[in-house]
Amino acid sequence: MSKSKSNYKWGMVIDLDRCTGCSACVVACQAENNVPVVGEERSAEGRMLHWLRIERYWDGEYPHVRARFIPVLCQQCDNAPCEPVCPVYASYQTPEGLNGQVYNRCVGTRYCANNCPWSVRVFNFHEPEWPKPLNDQLNPDVTVRSKGVMEKCTFCIQRINRGKMKAKEEGRLVRDDEIQPACAQTCPPGAIIFGNMADKGSFVFRLSRSSRRFRLLEDLGTEPVVIYLKGGGREGA
Amino acid sequence: MNRREFLQLTGAAAAGGALSSCTINPEKLIPLLVPPEDGSIPGVADYYASICRQCPAGCGIIVRVSEGRANKIEGNPLHPVNKGKLCARGQAALQALYHPDRIRQPLKRTGVRGSGEFSPVSWEEGLSLLAEKLKGMKTAGARKGMIFFTPELQGTILQLVKAFTEHFNGMHVPYESLSLESHRKASVDVYGRYELPDYDIGSAQYIISFGADFLETFVSPVRYGDAYGRMRRARPTVRGLFTYAGPRMSMTAASADSWLPVKTGKEGILAAGMAGVILDEELYDGPALNIYGLNVSELKAAMADYPLKRVAEETGLTERDIFSASRDFARLRPSIAIAGDTVAHQTNGIDSIKAVHLLNLLTGNFGKQGGVRFSPKDLKQTASSYSKLLDTIDDMSGGSVRVALFHGVDPVYALPKTSGFEKALGKVPFIASFSSFQCDTTRQADLILPDHTDLESWGEVIPSIGGDIGVVGTVQPVVRPVHNTLAFPDALLSLVKTEGGKVPGISAYGDYPAVLKEHIRQASGHKPGADFERVWTKTLQRGGIFKEDSKPVKSINRSGKFIFTVPRKAVFSGDEKQFPFHLHIYPSAIMFDGRSAHLPWLQETPDPMTTAVWGTWLEINPKTAGSLGITHGDLVEVESPAGSIRVPVVIYPAIRSEVMAMPLGQGHRNFGRYAAGRGVNPLDLLETVVDKENRLPALGATRVRIKRISKKGGLITAGHPDGSYRGELLEI
Repeated sequence: MSKSKSNYKWGMVIDLDRCTGCSACVVACQAENNVPVVGEERSAEGRMLHWLRIERYWDGEYPHVRARFIPVLCQQCDNAPCEPVCPVYASYQTPEGLNGQVYNRCVGTRYCANNCPWSVRVFNFHEPEWPKPLNDQLNPDVTVRSKGVMEKCTFCIQRINRGKMKAKEEGRLVRDDEIQPACAQTCPPGAIIFGNMADKGSFVFRLSRSSRRFRLLEDLGTEPVVIYLKGGGREGA
Repeated sequence: MNRREFLQLTGAAAAGGALSSCTINPEKLIPLLVPPEDGSIPGVADYYASICRQCPAGCGIIVRVSEGRANKIEGNPLHPVNKGKLCARGQAALQALYHPDRIRQPLKRTGVRGSGEFSPVSWEEGLSLLAEKLKGMKTAGARKGMIFFTPELQGTILQLVKAFTEHFNGMHVPYESLSLESHRKASVDVYGRYELPDYDIGSAQYIISFGADFLETFVSPVRYGDAYGRMRRARPTVRGLFTYAGPRMSMTAASADSWLPVKTGKEGILAAGMAGVILDEELYDGPALNIYGLNVSELKAAMADYPLKRVAEETGLTERDIFSASRDFARLRPSIAIAGDTVAHQTNGIDSIKAVHLLNLLTGNFGKQGGVRFSPKDLKQTASSYSKLLDTIDDMSGGSVRVALFHGVDPVYALPKTSGFEKALGKVPFIASFSSFQCDTTRQADLILPDHTDLESWGEVIPSIGGDIGVVGTVQPVVRPVHNTLAFPDALLSLVKTEGGKVPGISAYGDYPAVLKEHIRQASGHKPGADFERVWTKTLQRGGIFKEDSKPVKSINRSGKFIFTVPRKAVFSGDEKQFPFHLHIYPSAIMFDGRSAHLPWLQETPDPMTTAVWGTWLEINPKTAGSLGITHGDLVEVESPAGSIRVPVVIYPAIRSEVMAMPLGQGHRNFGRYAAGRGVNPLDLLETVVDKENRLPALGATRVRIKRISKKGGLITAGHPDGSYRGELLEI
């Protein structure tokens, strides 16, 4: 665990019992973070740039078949495998527990993506295109990345910073629910909960203690801060 | 002092200096010398409330605008329909505003029809050209010389379009491709209500959906998505249960606790069978039945020929599954039964929906928290009528129609090819479209007078389901028009004015925003004046008038008696021997009915169930595919009595072996660079009318056969087909 003295430790809980797979978060993330589309041909090459994707798993055979959805985004690991392999320190751990990515340091070795067990880092193989006037929709708070740069989920760092600045101006800490990444804000069934894990009273911290909790590829020991909650059962938990 | 200490000390001093200067709170070092004209401050975003119009649900949105550009759409937390949430289509709506292939100014056709050769004209020229064509319409005698095609409209826009068509002796034809006609007809027969019922999913204990994909496309998916989350996990001791019945596991069905793969067209029989079990086991709510005017012995008599065994045989399910679903439904109250699009789009759709509603009545779920609800006021919207739409085809080919106008609909794309709409349209001497995009219908137009897009317009939206809420959402422009477009209502008003005519109750207010304001004033019950100015500003800030009315309708007020009969046998186009498979067409979770296909974000959003992007596909059961020698990604030819198309295959583990499914949404010939020529339109396989008696659209009433063509289907999926079978994840 990091020995950060920060008041904040950003974390997320994704309740799979609420998640319906609707993909609203996928588009919300693209819209907030200036994630371009790559087109049909490059999609076929597997070069889509989504920071957040919905994994769909099948289990069983007809008629006893089930489909399950898992939204997968950067797990913001405490012991992140992507960080130590970067030769130019473009990927690093922020004091608030995020796996930061410094775009203007990135030289495009793609070692980090290679080392990420969740495949949530995406690389700009081509210059992103925003045919005019589509570029007018770009979020001015977020850098537009260029060819040769690795990018990834930031937990909407621009929103975190805006929230922290506002709190600082008012001489207080960020309130629970004050900052929401785009995915959590739009999620219709309220499956994605974001907040400060350092605050033991926060909703996200309380949810993360649920008996339904698990983490993706937990056995790798990378200490992700994204906690998933299992669904199912006939009773509430 | 070594180097490190020196740096630390100087660093601390600098930080201290910086901190102390912060406490003085420097407000603005350099005020803006020349402030921007529109009042916006660089670097500071403004937020405007409006309404999303990507589907008829009418969710409230907040648009973030920085320096005159719209950057992001969020849900409006104050709006009772979506409570701050938004779906993928709503999020992507921004791209309609800044789409590179928007129609940027009025256009006049120069080449042959459909060639796409247009030249720009001025608005004066464009409007006077249409005015000239409309001139003399009034005196054309009894025959309707003009047809105005629109989606289902409400409020001032409806008033305006109606007045406009009347003024020019025309006919207004509202049309929604995912028609709710069968739902409305059933609702009138069962509840005596014209409007659609709202379902209080959030407070229910048990839900059974008969083909209702309420988490993706059905009526109000964001509202129901929010409710679904609450049903599952918002109550400390209750986790609501959910069962889905349908031949294909939809995205909604994937969230269900159990899936009943009922045969195509037999959903109503299943509902009736469940009602039979509830009657036999005496699990019904007796007093409620009395109030609803239903008689147990009559209902039992209606079910006499359908014992559980026969129901199980006909539906292809086990007696045990039907029995336990019925028992759960009756015991875990409040419970809800919902009938959806794929049920409605069968030839026995109305019967089936009624059978599903019977379940709600049997367990006394009407008007209850966690049950089926109606708003106090029955909203008489102008519903679309498929039959009326088909009549216009005859009128057009008969030559009596001289002008056809289109706004917000694309019937050339959205009607089966066999309807002959396109050909009939070719006989109309003059076609004008108010569309913002060159959709397949607009491509045929002689004149295009582009409307503003939703984020540049004024308007009002009454949500497609009100339920227990009284809502009028206000649409306001969040940015200045990007292109040289004109608000559609203002174009209509000016056309009437050129003729020297007046629209009663509307023309007096001048332009459309003034009309809307006056309408909102009347709805809010305020007198004109400074007082109302404040209310008006407040209404726009909030995004509409929201009157939360918690008094649901308790009594059923229908004129006749609800006589229940077991649904008729569904009829299918195509002989069973020649065409062995059912074609299951469903609205895409991402593209809806195709109206959002032009948005690149949506094209590249993987379909939740298949992870396919940028195209169409055909879903086949693995066993069926194996027996036909077809594998994932193969190109096949799908043939029906009406036509044939070629499409790649997705092996889909959760579909009946005799059913093949295709999503709506792709197959546009035009509609901008991201949609044009992409995928195929499954509507090309349909006959226009299968249900001769009711003349309703039936997306699910066609049989097909398939033939493997090659292994190059061009299917693109985000997930690897083999990597997605992960048994160890079963627990979640």
